[in-house]
Amino acid sequence: MDTPSSSGAGPGGRLLHLHRSGGSSFRRRMRPGGGGGSEAGTPLGGVSYVSTPIPDDDAFDAGADKYLLAKTYFDCREYRRAAHVLRGHVGRKAVFLRCYALYMAGEKRKDEETIELEGSLGKSNVVNQELVALERELSTYRRTGAIDSFGLYLYGIVLRDKGCEGLARTVLVESVNSYPWNWCAWLEIQSLCTTSDILNNLNLKNHWMKDFFIASAHLELKMHEEALKRYERLMGVFRCSDYIQAQIATVQYSMRELDDADMIFEELLRTDPFRVDSMDIYSNLLYAKESLTALSFLAHRVFLTDKYRPESCCIIANYYSLKGQHEKSVLYFQRALKLNRKYLSAWTLMGHEYVELKNTPAAIDAYRRAVDINPRDYRAWYGLGQIYEMMGMPFYALYYFRKSSHLQPNDARLWIAMAQCYESDPLQMIEEAIKCYERAANSNDTEGIALHQLAKLHSMLGQSEEAAFYYKKDVERMEVEERQGQNFVEALLFLAKHCKSIGRYEEAEHYCTRLLDYTGPEKETAKSMLQGIKREQSGFPSMDIDHFAL
Amino acid sequence: MNVFAGVRSAAGAEQKDAGSAGGEALLELTPHRMAVCHLVQVFAPQQEGGPATPPFPFESVAHHNRLGLFLFSLTRSCEDFLEPPLEELLRQLKAVDDLVNGWLCEQLTTTLSGLISPDDLFNFFDKLRGVLTSPEGASVEDEFLDPNSQLGVYLRCCILAFNSMTFEGVCHLLSNLVAYCNSAETSYDLAEDEDFNSEMEMSDLMDADIGVRAGVFDKYGQGYATESHMGESSSSFIHAPISLHDFDEDNIFKADENPTCLRSRWQLEAYLNQQADILEKDPSSVPLNSFNATMTQLQTLAPELHRVQFLQHLNALSHDDYVSALDNLHRYFDYSAGQGLFSRSLSANQDIIVGKYESALLSLGSLHCYFGHPKKALEAFTEAVRVSQMNNDDSCLAYILGAISNLLSKIGISSTVGIIGSPYSLGNNSGLGTPLSIQQQLLVLLKRSLKRADMLKLTSLISFDHISLAKFDLKHVQRPLVSFGPNASTKLRTCPADVCKSLRLSSHVLSDFGTGDLSTSHDNGSFSTSWLRNLSTASSSWCSSSAKPGKQIVNDFDNFHFNAQPSPIPTSVLQLAGSAYLMRATAWEHYGSAPMVRMNALVYTTCFADAASSSELSLAYVKLIQQLVVFKGYSVAFGALKIAEEKFPSSTNPHIHLLKMQLLHDRALHRGHLRVAQQICDEFGVLSSSVSGVDIELKTEASLRHARTLLAAKQFSQAAVVANSLFSTCYKYNMQVENASVLLLLAEIHKKSDNAVLGLPYALASQSFCKSFNLDLLEASATLTLAELWLALGSSHAKRALSLVYQSLPMILGHGGLELRARAHIVLAKCYLTDREYSVSEDPRAVLDPLNQATEDLQVLEYHDMAAEAYYLKAMAYNHLGKEGEREEAAARFKEHVTAVENPHDEEASLAY
Repeated sequence: MDTPSSSGAGPGGRLLHLHRSGGSSFRRRMRPGGGGGSEAGTPLGGVSYVSTPIPDDDAFDAGADKYLLAKTYFDCREYRRAAHVLRGHVGRKAVFLRCYALYMAGEKRKDEETIELEGSLGKSNVVNQELVALERELSTYRRTGAIDSFGLYLYGIVLRDKGCEGLARTVLVESVNSYPWNWCAWLEIQSLCTTSDILNNLNLKNHWMKDFFIASAHLELKMHEEALKRYERLMGVFRCSDYIQAQIATVQYSMRELDDADMIFEELLRTDPFRVDSMDIYSNLLYAKESLTALSFLAHRVFLTDKYRPESCCIIANYYSLKGQHEKSVLYFQRALKLNRKYLSAWTLMGHEYVELKNTPAAIDAYRRAVDINPRDYRAWYGLGQIYEMMGMPFYALYYFRKSSHLQPNDARLWIAMAQCYESDPLQMIEEAIKCYERAANSNDTEGIALHQLAKLHSMLGQSEEAAFYYKKDVERMEVEERQGQNFVEALLFLAKHCKSIGRYEEAEHYCTRLLDYTGPEKETAKSMLQGIKREQSGFPSMDIDHFAL
Repeated sequence: MNVFAGVRSAAGAEQKDAGSAGGEALLELTPHRMAVCHLVQVFAPQQEGGPATPPFPFESVAHHNRLGLFLFSLTRSCEDFLEPPLEELLRQLKAVDDLVNGWLCEQLTTTLSGLISPDDLFNFFDKLRGVLTSPEGASVEDEFLDPNSQLGVYLRCCILAFNSMTFEGVCHLLSNLVAYCNSAETSYDLAEDEDFNSEMEMSDLMDADIGVRAGVFDKYGQGYATESHMGESSSSFIHAPISLHDFDEDNIFKADENPTCLRSRWQLEAYLNQQADILEKDPSSVPLNSFNATMTQLQTLAPELHRVQFLQHLNALSHDDYVSALDNLHRYFDYSAGQGLFSRSLSANQDIIVGKYESALLSLGSLHCYFGHPKKALEAFTEAVRVSQMNNDDSCLAYILGAISNLLSKIGISSTVGIIGSPYSLGNNSGLGTPLSIQQQLLVLLKRSLKRADMLKLTSLISFDHISLAKFDLKHVQRPLVSFGPNASTKLRTCPADVCKSLRLSSHVLSDFGTGDLSTSHDNGSFSTSWLRNLSTASSSWCSSSAKPGKQIVNDFDNFHFNAQPSPIPTSVLQLAGSAYLMRATAWEHYGSAPMVRMNALVYTTCFADAASSSELSLAYVKLIQQLVVFKGYSVAFGALKIAEEKFPSSTNPHIHLLKMQLLHDRALHRGHLRVAQQICDEFGVLSSSVSGVDIELKTEASLRHARTLLAAKQFSQAAVVANSLFSTCYKYNMQVENASVLLLLAEIHKKSDNAVLGLPYALASQSFCKSFNLDLLEASATLTLAELWLALGSSHAKRALSLVYQSLPMILGHGGLELRARAHIVLAKCYLTDREYSVSEDPRAVLDPLNQATEDLQVLEYHDMAAEAYYLKAMAYNHLGKEGEREEAAARFKEHVTAVENPHDEEASLAY
């Protein structure tokens, strides 16, 4: 997946779409068809889409050579030279290229200045010096209507850089409505849609590109089911799109369906072996599955393809982390962050590495930076909570766990972490812990910690009825998963005792006999209990005798 | 950009040291600093001038010194986080410069705008170096700028910063300098035509603006011919059609575009401290959003300055924004974990890896305490205790103990065990075996905190603890902690001497400050700031007066007396010392000495008003007004309240709001406007509801007033029920002082319901409570009630009652208010009248004098009920004497008051004042 291009992103990402806009051969090919553009461009999806608008081109004869010269300069990254060549030209494309070149020149200068002006307080107020002039010029063009969709896109990013987000959104929506194939514009809109409300209020034409956008935005907003549904429908139309496949895999990874995602990624790599996009997610997946070989293979491959991509660095860092070489891992994460300072997952993962290195302040710092970049990153919140808990500050940690579980309410791990905080020695807030464990048990707790703890806590509070209920559930779960350990024995023992005490002898006998399969002191207890049950069932008033004996 | 600046600064000890050495000491060079450097150069004495005559441009030594003072203030002031633009500097300089007809200003601008190439900059700093080095052959006595003086160090820092600059840095400095010089010119333009109506003017202005811009680039271009395309590219948009409608918007953008230069780190921190002081002193004066906007701006300019987040936390706190206060607190401590709040304890051998997380917990606890979450606050504090014990952070521990005791004294906690979670957090009661009551825990905590603070020389904390101890001693009888073994004979009384001693000790913070090392760390530059500020106001007033012919001789030090100058003693110390006085006033209020209350409150309002927070200052006002109402009646008190309300609007200040309601309620009761009284009572009920935290004192006050209203409405049984439940609450929360007044109220209720026998035990109990807590005035009042009760039992007890009244009379006449005095007089008269051995005709003055006095007092108080009683007695007495004229008059007044009570008219007027 493309990271949303931001002001910190290198110029490389921005260059991509220009080839399409500059090379008019694409559009020339469309011309003869006349109205046929809509047929060619619109896929058959059973949904009625708006026809694809064809932007009317300028008269391309005046100054075409100058334009080509400027374009060449631009491609050679001599931005100011390109802008200079086009001064005084009023054609829409010429204007766009000139403004874009100026913008890029400003960005380049900004990046240089960021390094030059670094002060003791990390002063980062360097701005693109061209923004004001560009904003002034483009707004005039927009008012007079002498602007094409690319100009609008440029205007949008200028506005975003200046902090006028609302207007930027409007302008970008205008841009994609008049020319829907500019994916960069879509991505900018996506980065400006921080809540689903904003997303739903966008005034977008129902073009099929919108589906791509909505799906991607849903993924970003963690609305995984919706995203998956939309991508699967798109997959039916664009059958061999790598991009959609990668997105589906990402969604599935986010929904923790690792095996499905793994298959898709493998397939992707087979068809597109030099791919780097989305591969960092694949590496996360491999990390989660602990498949060291596959990860090393992937790392090697991206290293050979392009080692100076943040994704590549991240993959290599993941590999080292899995190997247990955390210092090296941190080093590569740092490199990734040098390449893209707003690379969210790298900050979070680096936090994890610092935790492994027991460098808590650095870990806190890394997590905090991740959270400040995107306050919806629940993993970083969770990491912060974990660190504070490790430092013996469970009450302080609760704030962070609460944040993370608020963002990801269906993740059992978060609730369990919170419950463990409440349960910890200094706090001892059992009721709250029980509430958290209940949430965890209700949200698909695969490791079964919640049920066991619930049972234990209830029995601690003397609520044996509830405890028995949860122990029973736990036993059922362990039976299904065919897992048998100390927890299993403990559950059986409690259930046997409980059933005996409330007089359900048959059940108690059942649990006792199952206990006999295990070695250890429980076996003896079970034996004696069985005898006791037999005596009581036979109506022998053993209890009274016991009493007298006492 | 250094991506890992933050990470590394917190990462490890040795790295941190390196970071702080490189980052903090070094000054960033800005055009403003260069301007100051230039002025220092002018200021520095030249070699040829003898020591007696001032150097060239200055007329007198005083004038010379004035510039020196100005420069000193410039380097120390901290009024904003941005450096002033050239225009501002010139304006301030003019105030110094007027004597030489703007020579300095002109020289400054020509010098600065004369710097057009990097080489000029090199020469400029070379010349600066000459100021510091003494020429060969100069003797030691010759005057030079001392390299170790404030200005000398400043110069050296600037020169060092320039020397370590890269070529890119020099280029940036140069372009900033050009913009700096030009900003003064353009802003002059803007100031001249404020509102542009015609398009002509606007476009002219645009051209001027663009011209300046082009000029910037031209200047740039002279230095670097190779980069000339920059100038051209910028000029390309000049030809583009420019819309005039966007002009305003552009203007805003232009402000962004101006190079913004931050002050030095020291100045920034001082600025933040100043803002924090303002936030504490008067939160309502700081608008939530605009302050946040300023802070956000500062944060984008200095992302590594995390203190900003703490200020945002404080701001949210003072505006009751729980969520954002919590968020900012966590963010601040996540980033600044390595550095702590208490810079004094951050010694060199501190374990930095662990960080000051305990102060995070301390702040979190205080936050919960502020928002009225005692449980959460206590959890946070216990965790803080644990963490600071783990990290061996003794000073933080002392602060935490102080905070816990503050919390415990604030909230009413009834249960005695399990409040302070694990025993080892306190570690005290495990050895004694018996669980300590909450009060005893509080005392132990206070004493420990005091001991630690004393050991660690935390002067402010010592003072705070002394005040808390005084508060504790005021309200609690100290029992021995050990409940077994040979018991020493214990007096179950509070000890006023202890209270006075504690308060006296707490005021020592002022003298400690003078001698101790506190003074060195507290220079926060506010002095210089206000000097500069006054300079400009002074100069404007001076300019207007300078129209007079002839030059005036300006005293350089006049400016020091312009407005209220900040005291050289830090605000926090002043606040603590002031609190001691306020506490004294409260103590005397309890012990019942009106003049002492007035005196201490007055001392507070006059001496500590500058430093006091609005809440404490309003409390002092409240005390003064309460004194007024007791001794001077309602009209005077309401007049004073109006003045106080102008200062603290009652809608925002809880103290004043409460006082207003108290006054209105009392007056309504006295006037017999029961419906109004009930209405205000309901308002009290709303205030004391637990929506905004639980304030136990407010709760008791609300139900006390409820009972009194019921009593006035003659609903005796209901009033008794309310008072009884109030008594049990007070007993549960161990509020013995309040118990005394509740018991007295119960006695009063029984007296009014003609159950004198039932009332007696209550009055006696109240009396004994008063005795053990030294509440002398209340005791006198209880004795008076006792006398009334005896009197109600029949004429045979008149002698006993009389002796009781005489017993209480000295206290009441000395310190009692109008109502109490009137009551005493009436009871006195009643005693005589019921006494069989007394006849009016023999000694009429014994009855008539007190009655006259009482009617006079009650007139002021508008207390109809009691006034009617007094007039009735008076009429009876005159009847016995056979003076019919006086009798009729008294009877008429009696009727007047009775009808006023029975047919209350214009009740609504009771709500107005």
